[in-house]
Amino acid sequence: MALQEIAAIVALTGVMAYAIFGGADFGSGIWSALASGPRAGGQRNALYKAIGPVWETNNVWLVFIIVVLLMAFPGAMADLFTALLVPLSVGLIGVVFRGAAFAFRNFGRESGAREAPVHGIVFSMASVIAPFAFGVALGATAGGEIKLNDGGAVTSGLWAPWLRALPLLFGVTAVAVCSYLTMSYMTTRSAGDLREDFRVRGLLAGAAVGLLAVVTLAVSYWDSRDFWDLWQRPAPLAMSGVALAAGLASLFVLWRRWYALAPAATGGAMALLVAAWGVIQYPYFIVPSEKIFDVASNDAMIRSALVGLLCGAVILIPSLLLLYLSFVAESAEEAPES
Amino acid sequence: MGMALGFHIVFATIGIGLPPLLFAAEGLYLRTGKEFYRVMAKRWAIATAVLFAVGAVSGTILSFSFGLLWPSWTEFAGGIIGLPFFLEGFAFFTEAIFLGLYLYSWDKLSPRAHWLCTIPIAVAALGSAFFIISVNSWMNQPAGFDIVNGVVTNVNPTAAMLTSRAFPYEFTHGALAAYVAMGLGIAGVYALAMLRGDRSDYNKKALMLGLGLAAVFAPLQVVTGDLSARHLAHRQPEKFAAMEGQYATEKGAPLRIGGIPFPNDHETKFAIEIPKLASFLAFEDFNAEIKGYDSFPPDEVPNIFLAHFPFQIMVALGFTFVGVSALFWGHAWWKKRIDPPRLLLALLVAVGALGFVAIEAGWFVTEFGRQPWVIYHIMKTSGGATSRDGIWVLLIVFGFVYMALTAGMAGVLLLQQRGRTQTPRAS
Repeated sequence: MALQEIAAIVALTGVMAYAIFGGADFGSGIWSALASGPRAGGQRNALYKAIGPVWETNNVWLVFIIVVLLMAFPGAMADLFTALLVPLSVGLIGVVFRGAAFAFRNFGRESGAREAPVHGIVFSMASVIAPFAFGVALGATAGGEIKLNDGGAVTSGLWAPWLRALPLLFGVTAVAVCSYLTMSYMTTRSAGDLREDFRVRGLLAGAAVGLLAVVTLAVSYWDSRDFWDLWQRPAPLAMSGVALAAGLASLFVLWRRWYALAPAATGGAMALLVAAWGVIQYPYFIVPSEKIFDVASNDAMIRSALVGLLCGAVILIPSLLLLYLSFVAESAEEAPES
Repeated sequence: MGMALGFHIVFATIGIGLPPLLFAAEGLYLRTGKEFYRVMAKRWAIATAVLFAVGAVSGTILSFSFGLLWPSWTEFAGGIIGLPFFLEGFAFFTEAIFLGLYLYSWDKLSPRAHWLCTIPIAVAALGSAFFIISVNSWMNQPAGFDIVNGVVTNVNPTAAMLTSRAFPYEFTHGALAAYVAMGLGIAGVYALAMLRGDRSDYNKKALMLGLGLAAVFAPLQVVTGDLSARHLAHRQPEKFAAMEGQYATEKGAPLRIGGIPFPNDHETKFAIEIPKLASFLAFEDFNAEIKGYDSFPPDEVPNIFLAHFPFQIMVALGFTFVGVSALFWGHAWWKKRIDPPRLLLALLVAVGALGFVAIEAGWFVTEFGRQPWVIYHIMKTSGGATSRDGIWVLLIVFGFVYMALTAGMAGVLLLQQRGRTQTPRAS
């Protein structure tokens, strides 16, 4: 495998990690707005409690994606951000307000101040907007409407590449993915009726993800023939089959209440869904004009990135495990009943 | 971009400066068992959490800005100076992970393990500064590649990151600045509480910790500042001339303290001039020649006001910080206890805010002093920016975003402050 392809896989891995870790944090915001039934307050508290220690770490995956683009695919980064200025800015603003509102709410309460309801509202709204906008950006990258001239400069307008059915469906799917992840993860951090609340909502969200994924593929036949044609190749077809099977399996796990398996099953399935998007796009970085090899950095830079990645992983992976395991073990001990 | 950086730099400073203070406060608690050190660490931790969250999101804005606002810069520089950005990502991860552990595991980890979490936080924060300042140094003194017939070749990412001539000066000066400003900032908060009449042990110890940090690093900062200026005199003489307000090329140039540049007269007036000292400080020779601002092409020099005034402010503040720290410790030594008079407390409150002013001024000198280049002698600032029309809409939107962040943060921190004007609750 060529260096450039390895770098592309690193970038895709970043997107997958952001989706299944950062995505669940967005899901917490979404569900804190949708909390309902007799245990609405309990649902909200459990959601806030779960993301407290981890959201900043999960947000770094977004920065990770950007810095991988910057060093390994600087030309593509320039073109993507120029072409997708609007959705990426909106997503960024969503991320900013989500994080700030959460921190202000959380630590404002901790220090004994009166809670400002505006923080909760902003937190929820931003948690919907950010994944939607980033989903739209992914869809636009695959959708084939980012136009470049012969000199490699972006010629498409501010709206044309993404204000279409396929990218917008990607955005809605991303919101559903976040919702599903959160509910599945929360089943291991709760007990009793509250857990049953999360399970039922998870099953609904998971079904929505599957339905949206199928609709998105079907719509691409009319809306983005490039995407449809890329999909009609053996590897993408196989990969989407695998993702579909994993998705159904994760729903089955949740249906049978095998909670210990639920986070891994759902996280794995959603990661495979993102991977399927990557495989469909291959070998394009931006469909249909820029291939991975056209936009990659020089070999020396990519090589140093991979060495840096290996060294960084030695520190990062044990630290991440320490963080997640500390707080998962805790929540199992003192899982709220209702 | 300037707005984004100017905002973020405050939080970066706090992110670098606070962990050593947490380390000290909680370490003192473990050593002495005095409850108020634990309360101190806990309160600082809450402030850290809010400020780090804002720093994290403003850092995310920055990473996006490279693509949104500076696509041409990114396309050119990403393949050369991308490595420190990438490594900074790992430093950021480490910082976020251990901060998450620290903030949420007061009762879960053993006291010692909890205390030790501050070490990776402090190291990672300093590491972030190391990597990001290496990028800025590279923009001032590019290294690690060749340009042959207009094409970038022979890229050596490690050399680009580490061998910029500006890097040793910028990094030491920038990192020390964070410790000085943070020490003074903390001291200012508690000096204010003491001014209001609460001369509790808690406030005195906190004041001591802050000024301890400042007293160690403020004098060192004068040394690194001198080294930085000398480096500029050799490597970026037009920046140096603008900072000093030196219009004409001159042998045995005087050191100007203050002064107002008059572009029409090509002269800096109303300055206190110390004969021959600028030549000596820059070249260790009282009669050395200093190149004047006028000797460079007019389209390749920075705006003299934007380099001269911030530089003068920064230098003046730097010496003030040394003086005030000395005054505080001198008074404590003389009285054999920490009991500063009201005037000194008022001074400390003022200096607490001025630490951050000095950082902003220093950053102005670095950035405006490099103009019109975004990458020194390689790319002009106008050539690195986006070609999208109407980008000002985005800039206005982000102006509002920053205002909202500031307002929200001020709200939370002030409420927190108000909730604790009474003596510490042991919670």
